[in-house]
Amino acid sequence: MHFDDKIPIYYQIKTHIYHEIITGTLQPGEKLLSVRQLALDVTANVNTVQRALSEMIAAGMIDSKRGKGNFVTMDETKITDLKTQLITEQVARAYQQLHALNLSDEEILTSLKHYMTQRGNVE
Amino acid sequence: MTAGLTLQGVQYRHGMKMILHDVDLTITPGKIIGLLGENGAGKTTLMRLITGSAKGKGTIAINDATVVGDRKQHVSFTEQLRGFARETRVEQVVNFYHDVYGDFDSQRYQDMATFLQIDGSLKLSSLSKGMKEKLIIALTLSRRTDLYLLDEPFSGIDSMSRKRIINSILQWKPDDAIMVISDHYVSEVAAILDEIVVVKDQTIFTHEATDAIREKYDVGIEAYYESLYEKGNDYD
Repeated sequence: MHFDDKIPIYYQIKTHIYHEIITGTLQPGEKLLSVRQLALDVTANVNTVQRALSEMIAAGMIDSKRGKGNFVTMDETKITDLKTQLITEQVARAYQQLHALNLSDEEILTSLKHYMTQRGNVE
Repeated sequence: MTAGLTLQGVQYRHGMKMILHDVDLTITPGKIIGLLGENGAGKTTLMRLITGSAKGKGTIAINDATVVGDRKQHVSFTEQLRGFARETRVEQVVNFYHDVYGDFDSQRYQDMATFLQIDGSLKLSSLSKGMKEKLIIALTLSRRTDLYLLDEPFSGIDSMSRKRIINSILQWKPDDAIMVISDHYVSEVAAILDEIVVVKDQTIFTHEATDAIREKYDVGIEAYYESLYEKGNDYD
């Protein structure tokens, strides 16, 4: 995994796993790799991976079963909520950046629609 | 009992010249530390003080072992393969390690040698710089101990080998062991470091958690490290 040196590594690992949960690469109830395997998988430190996992466990997205390992939550509502949250974050970021260019809400909508049409034409 | 590595009031002079002074440092078990500083800042000296191969003032403890003889049991450091004749073969060096260190795990060495593609039949004199570094890393990590010191393991190493070395560190470091990796160029290892310790102005200039740096200052580790050498840095 390629990390951005400016963003805390534990946060990037958390985001990476959340993406896998939302896109279904990791299914509800699926077992995660061991901490060490995950660390090797993304080329990060065991402590950093553990921190990412602890935060996901605290958020209820991962269930830690003693002696058995870590599992993606079975609670589909939580996964839907997470998806909504991540979408909101992405949209907010894009909105703020466009807003900073002095675009009105109307213009932001128009430019987004325009982009989607253009993109459709290309594909 | 204080677990981990502790240095208190450590000072080292070479003749009249002060190399390190007022070194206070505490590292908790399990951490991977980047020991940073310019060439000649005293990084290797600090490692040699920790192992006891250099003698200075102050107290150094590894998991409560303060006496040099006891400390050596708790630390693995392979200093440049000094002391071996040029025509010594790699496998002879490995046998020597096996005989000298009770905690040397031969199976582990074989696993690492295979992974890092080290040819045991080669003579030390025929090893490239990169191959020599790989051998040093395999020897160092094959001991089962509490503290591992790697002195600039990435110097003269291509990017494929670097990836393998980083992978070896992550794979073979025992969970509770401390790993100290010195480098004067941090970007190669920044992602696997828990904390950085910067040696500057003959002492520990900074000791901070890497993710805390990213969170607090919104910069990368390399940019942060470089800023310490610019006048009027704003991270005080």
